[in-house]
Amino acid sequence: MNIPFVKYSKIWVGFSSVLVVISIVLLATFGLKPGIDFTGGSLMELSFDSRPEVADIKVSLVDSGIENPVVQRTKDNSLIIRMQFLNEDEHQLILSDLRDDFGTSENRVHEERFETIGASISKQLRTRSTWAAILVCISIVLYVAYAFRRVSKPVASWKYGILAIIALLHDALIVMGVFSLLGYFVGIEVDIAFVVAILTIIGYSVNDTIVVFDRVRENLVKRVSKDFGETINIGLNQTIMRSLNTSITTLLVLLALYFFGGTTTQNFVLALMVGVISGAYSSIFLASPLLALVEKRGR
Amino acid sequence: MKHNKKQKSSTRSQLRSKIAGIFALFLFCLIVIFPGNVNQGINWVNNNANLGVPNLPESGYNLGLDLQGGAHLVYQANTAGLKDNERADSVEGARDVIERRVRGGLGVAEPLVQTTKVGEDYRIIVELPGVQDVSEAISMIGETPVLEFKEVNDVPARDLTKEEQKELDDFNNAANKKINEALIKLKKGTDFGLLATEYSEDERSKVNEGNLGFISASLFPEIYEWAEGHENGVYTSEPVASSNGLNLIKKIGEREGEKQIEASHLLICYRGANGCDEPLYSKREAEERIEKIKSESNPENFVDFVKEYTTEPGGADRNGSLGWFGEGQMVKEFEEVAFGLANNTISEVVETEFGYHLILKTDERILKEYEVARIFVNIKKETDILPPSEEWKNTDLSGKQLERAEVTENYQTGEIQVSLNFDAEGSEMFADITGRNVGKPVAIYLDGLPISIPVVNEAIVSGSAVISGSFDLNEAKILSRRLNSGALPVPIELISQQKVDATLGADSLAKSFKAGILGLIFVILFMIVYYRLPGLLAVVSLMIYTVLVAAIFKLVGVTLTLSGIAGFILSIGIAVDANVLVFERLKEELQTGKSLKTAMEEAFIRAWSSIRDGNITTLISCALLIWFGAGFIQGFAVTLALGVLVSMFTAFIITRAIMRLVFAWFKEDGNILFLGYKKK
Repeated sequence: MNIPFVKYSKIWVGFSSVLVVISIVLLATFGLKPGIDFTGGSLMELSFDSRPEVADIKVSLVDSGIENPVVQRTKDNSLIIRMQFLNEDEHQLILSDLRDDFGTSENRVHEERFETIGASISKQLRTRSTWAAILVCISIVLYVAYAFRRVSKPVASWKYGILAIIALLHDALIVMGVFSLLGYFVGIEVDIAFVVAILTIIGYSVNDTIVVFDRVRENLVKRVSKDFGETINIGLNQTIMRSLNTSITTLLVLLALYFFGGTTTQNFVLALMVGVISGAYSSIFLASPLLALVEKRGR
Repeated sequence: MKHNKKQKSSTRSQLRSKIAGIFALFLFCLIVIFPGNVNQGINWVNNNANLGVPNLPESGYNLGLDLQGGAHLVYQANTAGLKDNERADSVEGARDVIERRVRGGLGVAEPLVQTTKVGEDYRIIVELPGVQDVSEAISMIGETPVLEFKEVNDVPARDLTKEEQKELDDFNNAANKKINEALIKLKKGTDFGLLATEYSEDERSKVNEGNLGFISASLFPEIYEWAEGHENGVYTSEPVASSNGLNLIKKIGEREGEKQIEASHLLICYRGANGCDEPLYSKREAEERIEKIKSESNPENFVDFVKEYTTEPGGADRNGSLGWFGEGQMVKEFEEVAFGLANNTISEVVETEFGYHLILKTDERILKEYEVARIFVNIKKETDILPPSEEWKNTDLSGKQLERAEVTENYQTGEIQVSLNFDAEGSEMFADITGRNVGKPVAIYLDGLPISIPVVNEAIVSGSAVISGSFDLNEAKILSRRLNSGALPVPIELISQQKVDATLGADSLAKSFKAGILGLIFVILFMIVYYRLPGLLAVVSLMIYTVLVAAIFKLVGVTLTLSGIAGFILSIGIAVDANVLVFERLKEELQTGKSLKTAMEEAFIRAWSSIRDGNITTLISCALLIWFGAGFIQGFAVTLALGVLVSMFTAFIITRAIMRLVFAWFKEDGNILFLGYKKK
């Protein structure tokens, strides 16, 4: 079995480019919906014995002086309310107002979760996220360049690093594009967990890419073919089952987490799943074909 | 070429001991994870065979707030009023106070209270696992009092204008002229009493021909000092300045006043004694201890014993010194013994409500009182013309230097009061403040309001002060508790809180656990179906991997959070990856027609560089994530990183050993149980 991946390099790269362009357009038009981690604000999860109407809750909140509360129904009898930053007095006031309005002896109002994040914290989280992303990218280029330092022909070792970065940017952008859509249509917000997911995907994507490049490196040393494109293609065929199987096993655990692991980590796991699929695709159909194209241009 | 290199292969016996080692490791991990079940077994053995095997310590996993419920609070410290070099210390001080408060006041067993600096901002992070009533916790932390000591402000609100300065100068010149006129008359022989009636502006003494009666150092320090150095019947040759005027003084007589002694002491407090916050001894042990010290100590080495043993807060720093004190300042039992001692002797053991004491008396003195008469003329200061904008000004002394507050009773009046004990630094500051304010009031402020404004009688070097006001016992108790649990050195503001209900946490824990088990089962099925026998062996090593990681989490004390469990579950996928890489290689090697054993050894060697490079990138991401922040992210990154490291170990040591053992059971070329097998 020998699948001619490299022969159709332009098609794969073209397809990826389309996806990336769509993602960028989505990000530019819809953008990501930032959660309270990044904007500052409060999140309150309440459970009831019997849940009141969302509209009634909103009226009660506005009466208590909250501007534009966002109320969402979650599982069984719970609600999530998003609003501005509250200090402890305001928090208690709102809670007691809600209990006055909806709480009875049969319908207890229970606060399951409360988070409030001030502006200084959210600002710090924003800057830290940016720095972490930048540092992850830089250290990965450096590491890949180092790991491939012995194979500088016919393609310079640092170019492997750059290609790995292109693949990981591709994956990160696609995940962000998907979440931009989800944010627009379903209201899914982007929080710190999402940043963690992106950074994990970055590590994972590079891992996948490296395994393929590693095989190409070995084949170059062994001189399995005179043609560089063919060398890459042999490497891809040798590693494709590994890439697929690893992605499948990882997806299996992620699926278990998504469906059975509770609501808190669901969006996080979803981001990881999109990233794993995209990572598997980009290592086979993007990084390696690009490597072939880079070599061709260099000739 | 690597190809021809002879593989180093362990002999069968080495392999067997390796397998035995792996099995032992597996058992050890199981014991670490489930000590409860092992203890049940031990108890069963003990009951039946009466061997007396000790039980294992049973400890659970450290669960994060999201799994066991609790609160995560972030406070911003307002350090604007502090000098740069004091900020970090003050915030650390506030941290200590908050920790004491949540441990003592709220009874939280394992609170996490830490400080961080973000840019120029100092923050205090408080994690309260298991706390249900978070709003009570917040109010207790936020309510902590700010204690301040203030002295009379003698800085005028602004510089005097020319007119004001002239007014001041004119007044004081006239006063000088007046007192000098009286002095000249006095020197010419006019009677002091007559002059006092004519010139003195002190209405009270003027009517008695200037006689003030017997005075002590505390009320008239300057006059007392002058009288100390002069004979009876003598009057001043120059006017003597006191705090608000000029005096001509005549010394009339002297008498013996209060007796004071100087002493130091060593206190051993015991459980249940008044003010014994951290008891080291039971009452009996305390008694034994102090008797032993008594038998070994003498006036020369007493200080060394104090330094080592005294339980008086701050006592060791002061060498147990109590300074000079008069009657009525110490509790009765103590005072009776102390005043009965000869100089340079150590007392018998004295028992008071505070514990057992040994007292070393070092000196005694009898204060003199002098009878004087004076002619007094007022002079004005800048602040008399132009009062300061604020009545009080801050001193350096604050709640930061407070060591302990306790409710006491005034020995003489029976009034309930709160006494404050300062640490070494605070004692020095307090001595300074009282020293420069003798005869003047010093205000003690709590939360920005004055609670007590005593007038200083004399410099206090003992490092303790009392707040006396008109409070009853209950109010005094509340005040002392508030002061003890924390006088915050800096104001703080709550800028973020996260609260998770315990039931939600338990629900999340159960769900994640279920998800983990299911994920594991899916992976096991996949591996066996696809890779056949090697897959089965990988499953065995995957089980060992899971148990090993779970045991490491417990031994290292990783705090498990929801994200941490997600990281762990994800690492199962990654652990499989190492095996997948090896098996794919094995498949290829088998397809080239190599023997089973050679193919297996080759596969491990060749897969290594891929596994290493791939995992290092994941570890780089993890390292940056751990640096990146607290809570959610760190939990995830730590477990994922640990998982990646352990997976390399299990894939290369454990899977390989198991494969070497099992592959030897098959014939050279393998069979259909191996993927990639080719019939020849």
